[in-house]
Order: sequence, then structure tokens, then C-alpha cells
Amino acid sequence: MTRKLTYLNYLKQDLLPTQWCPGCGNGIVLKLACQSLEELNFPKKGTVVVSGIGCAGRSAGFFNLDSVHTAHGRAIPVAEGIKLANEKLNVIVISGDGDLLGIGGNHLLHASRRNTDISIICIANAIYGMTGGQYSPTTELGSKTLTTPSGNTDTPIDVQALIKAHNCFYARSTTYHLKHAMKCMVEALKHRGLSFAEIKTQCITNDGRRRGFKNGYEMLMYYKDNYKINNNSNELKHNEIGIVG
Amino acid sequence: MAKILLQGNQAIALAAIKAGMKFFAGYPITPASEILHELTNKKEVKVLQMEDEIASVNAIIGASLAGVKSMTATSGPGFSLMQESIGYAHMMEVPLVIVNVQRVGPSTGMPTFPAQGDILQCKYGSHGDYFPIVFYPNSVDELYKYTITAFNAAEESLSPVILLSDGYVGHLYETIETVDYPVSERAMAPLGTSNRHFTGLTHEDSKPATSNPEVHKKLIKHLETKQKKVSKKYNDYEYIENNSSDTLLIAYGAMSRASYNFKDDYSIFRPIRIFPIVEKIKEIAKKYKEIIVMEMNTGQYKSEVEKLLHREVKLVPILGGKIDLQDIWGGLRRLKRGK
Ligand SMILES: Cc1ncc(C[n+]2csc(CCOP(=O)(O)OP(=O)(O)O)c2C)c(N)n1
Ligand SMILES: [Mg+2]
Repeated sequence: MTRKLTYLNYLKQDLLPTQWCPGCGNGIVLKLACQSLEELNFPKKGTVVVSGIGCAGRSAGFFNLDSVHTAHGRAIPVAEGIKLANEKLNVIVISGDGDLLGIGGNHLLHASRRNTDISIICIANAIYGMTGGQYSPTTELGSKTLTTPSGNTDTPIDVQALIKAHNCFYARSTTYHLKHAMKCMVEALKHRGLSFAEIKTQCITNDGRRRGFKNGYEMLMYYKDNYKINNNSNELKHNEIGIVG
Repeated sequence: MAKILLQGNQAIALAAIKAGMKFFAGYPITPASEILHELTNKKEVKVLQMEDEIASVNAIIGASLAGVKSMTATSGPGFSLMQESIGYAHMMEVPLVIVNVQRVGPSTGMPTFPAQGDILQCKYGSHGDYFPIVFYPNSVDELYKYTITAFNAAEESLSPVILLSDGYVGHLYETIETVDYPVSERAMAPLGTSNRHFTGLTHEDSKPATSNPEVHKKLIKHLETKQKKVSKKYNDYEYIENNSSDTLLIAYGAMSRASYNFKDDYSIFRPIRIFPIVEKIKEIAKKYKEIIVMEMNTGQYKSEVEKLLHREVKLVPILGGKIDLQDIWGGLRRLKRGK
């Protein structure tokens, strides 16, 4: 049986392969995002993808539609300006955890208060991938990175709490749970108002490698073993994935 | 056309609407806040009070790309925060108008006092090479006119244009005639109509090209050429010639208003398009033995004028936000005595 590959229409195929490392999870998110757009039949003209800076930030450029690659941390305010200037557009942000929650964290805090109608897909690899593997706002406690050689001591940001505090949409999944991750994206894209889909994504080169993983596959297995789907909760526990809505 | 009494900041707001601005994002700051206040509740404009100036400038970048004329307004501290994104907008060729109503710096400085300390920041504030067009009017009437001009130049150059003002001119009340100045149309197709990629990376045909020096050289040349071409349309300056003087005074904005008091003893040149510096100054300067810039900083424009004219230029610096004719006069006399 051949699966229809029409989702590829959402990609600039001449730019493939991507420059992402072997074993990187970003391509999984990119593919699922395209499949979600297809599922919802989002028109290429009428949809805009916005990214910040980082490995994840390179996502926007692969879409076969108008896209914007912003300065580091600024995807959200640019997306808000786009949406407010033309309410008819579907505006989607795809960017990294450092970009959206670190340098751009204040924008997320306030965009969620404004409840601007944009969908945010966060490629949460718990690391600053592009710059070589420094710890990020979602790095787990105890995790060893380039800048936390003895283990991270900063509490990771609780995005769920931040988003829910302002009554916006929140979902969490991983790059192992393909169908679930896509469902999270589809629901996030359908949501009116600000939505945030956090997709735990493996970075073998600049994160997993330092934490004893041999390859991207082992990291996916880690997601498989450690994250349980819970779709009936309005507050996900640490190791749960689901749609809080 | 109508005669109305307006504050400088108000004039900017009303002129922006005249120019077709549909989106404004800003963050409160003295002495620029009245622009935000004036626009709030104007039905023609979507107004957003953002969490900071970085958010403000990025929101207007998004709105402009989405197809509407957009503006933000701030003062020194906010203008500093915007610098990275100003370079970004140059790189992506986004038309914007950014108003900077200057106050005394550095840092928080003297918020309610006027200054001219951001002159070089306009030109060099962001990293990398870029070529901004900057207007600096000196009256409420001119703020109205040059707000519209700034929007036109932004559309024609596809770049962020800076409208400089200061706490003095911004808070001045004058009666003006609201002339119907011509307004340039949008030249760029809005987002959502194609498959372009807008990026701050060095790029060619909307594709990143980060390891090709030739592409980068071409891109920078393009930005420079474009600015030269568009600014030619706006060679705006004021020249008051005094045939009995061998000295030319150069002043702009608030200081140029003070300079009029010295026209019996000096010739006066006032650039309105302060960057790129109006070329006319080269020709005019030849007639004078001495050139003096008076400005509210320690010589920012003086150094730019020297660079352009390849000759020594003297300075009367007025610091601390108080424009006192005695001080200026004292400064001019000291220069005359060769001190
Ligand atoms: C203002 C600014 N500071 C720092 C950088 C350098 N920088 C580039 S990417 C990056 C981190 C990106 O991390 P994240 O958003 O998590 O993306 P990832 O690479 O992990 O996908 C940093 C710090 C920059 N480009 N701009
Ligand atoms: Mg990351």
C-alpha cells in the first residue's frame, strides 16, 4: 500500500535534504506539521509560518508558502503583528525552546495574556542545539550539558502552567508518539486563540551524546518508555503527554 | 486643509493616519507617549500596547509584511532596545516608520529634558552595514509633513525610516495647516499570497546563502544603492545665507530653532534629511572659512560632517537638556577667540 504523499506540497522539496544532523528530531516535527496542515486543508495562500533563530528556527524556510525567519526570540511578536494586520491568515509559529521560552519568554507570557489567535509549535529539545549544546529553559534538573557539566540546577520552566494560567490551549507530545504529536498539532491549529504545542524532540549531537545516548533512536526509545499518554487530564504530570486544551 | 493647534507628538500621530498607517505598536515612554495616546481609539488604526520596545518593533515588522503601513514611537532607551530588529528589517527590506523623540541620555538620563544624543545610533546602532534614511524636522508643521514623507520614503526604499524628534519639538504646541501631501502606495505583496521566505540571514532569491561572500557583497551593495536612489528625492534642508558672515552654523531639530537667533552674525544650514547627509552641504560649505555645528551632544553630527567635507568642523555642545542662548553665545564667542 502506498501512502499518499500530498503533504509534501507544503514543503519546498528542492531544499531537501535539510541541514539538520542525522538522528535529529526536527524533521519529524516538520513532517507532522505538514501533515497537520494537509489534514486541516489549510490553503498555502492564506497560511504563514514564522520561526525564530536556532536549529528549530530553520523550519520556516522549508514551507512552500510565505514564511518569516525572525531575529532570535522574536517569532511571537512578529506573528502577532501579522495576525492582527490580517485576521484572515492562519499564522503558525514553529521554533525552539530557547527561542520561545528563553530569549523570547516575555513575549510568550504577554501574547498568552492577549490570547492572540496564533498557533505555536515548540520544538523542545531541552538544549541550545545550534550554538553547541548549552542548557536551555527546558533542560531537566541534573542534566549535563556544555554549560552545566555537574548537572543543571535551574528548575525547568513550567510552560503548561504559564499557558493555562491565561486560559490558552496547551498540548504536549514527543517525536516518538507520531500520531499523538500530530493530533496535538491539529488541535492546536484548530484552536481559536493562542495555542501552544510542546513537542519533546531529540537532539543527539549536542544533547543526547553528552547524556550517554548512542543515537537518536535511543532517545526516541527514552520518550517511549518515559512518557505516558493522558488525554483526560486538565493538568499533565511531568512524564505525561496529552492535550489539555 | 485645516488650521489646527497641535502638539508635536500629536501631529506625528495624525499625519501617520493621513499617510495610511493602519498598525501601531508601542510601549510607553517620556517624551513620546502622546503619540500612543493620540492613536488609541482612532478607528483607522489598530493600536497595540506591547510588553516592551523589542516586541513593538517586531510586531510592526510582522504587520508591515502582512500588508499594512506600520509605525512605532519611542525615546532613547526604547530605541536602544529596538536596534537588533532595525538591522533585521533592513536585511528583510521591510518598510516601517520608527519615531524617536529624544531625551537626555545615556541610560535613563533626564527623561523630561530634550537631547540629541541618538544621532549616531540612528546610523550605526545595529550591527553590520546598513543605510538608513533619517528625517529630523524642527516644528509641529514639519513633524506633520515629514511623518508623511517618512512613510513615503519607507515604501519607496522598502526599509525602516527613522523620524527623529526631541522632547522640545515633540512637546511644542503650534498652529499648523494640515496640507494634503501626496502619499505613496504599497509596493510589496502582502504575506499569504506567495511562497517567499523572509530572513535576516544573508540570502538570495529568498533562500539563505550564508557561506557565499559574493551574495553578501551584492546584497549590501543593493541596500546602499537603493537608499541613495530614494533619498535623492528628499534633499530637504534650510539655508539662511548671511553675506557678511564667513562662518556657517549647522544645527538641526530643537537646536536649529535656537540657531535662528544668530542669523545676523552667521549663515545657518539646517539639514532636515540628516542621513544620508544632504549633499548640498558640500557646495555651500565651500563659501565659508569656518563651520560650526551646534548640537545637544558631544559632537556626533560634527564628526559625520567632518567626514563628508574632509575638513575641520568646530563644535558648540549643549548638554543637560537646557537650551540657553547665553550658553550658545558663550560657546560661539569662545570659538571666535580660538579657545
Ligand atoms: C540575540 C542573539 N543571541 C544569541 C544568538 C545565538 N543563538 C543562535 S541559536 C541559539 C539558541 C537556539 O536555541 P533553541 O531555540 O532551543 O533552538 P535549537 O537550536 O535548540 O533548535 C542562540 C543562543 C543569536 N542568534 N541572537
Ligand atoms: Mg532547543
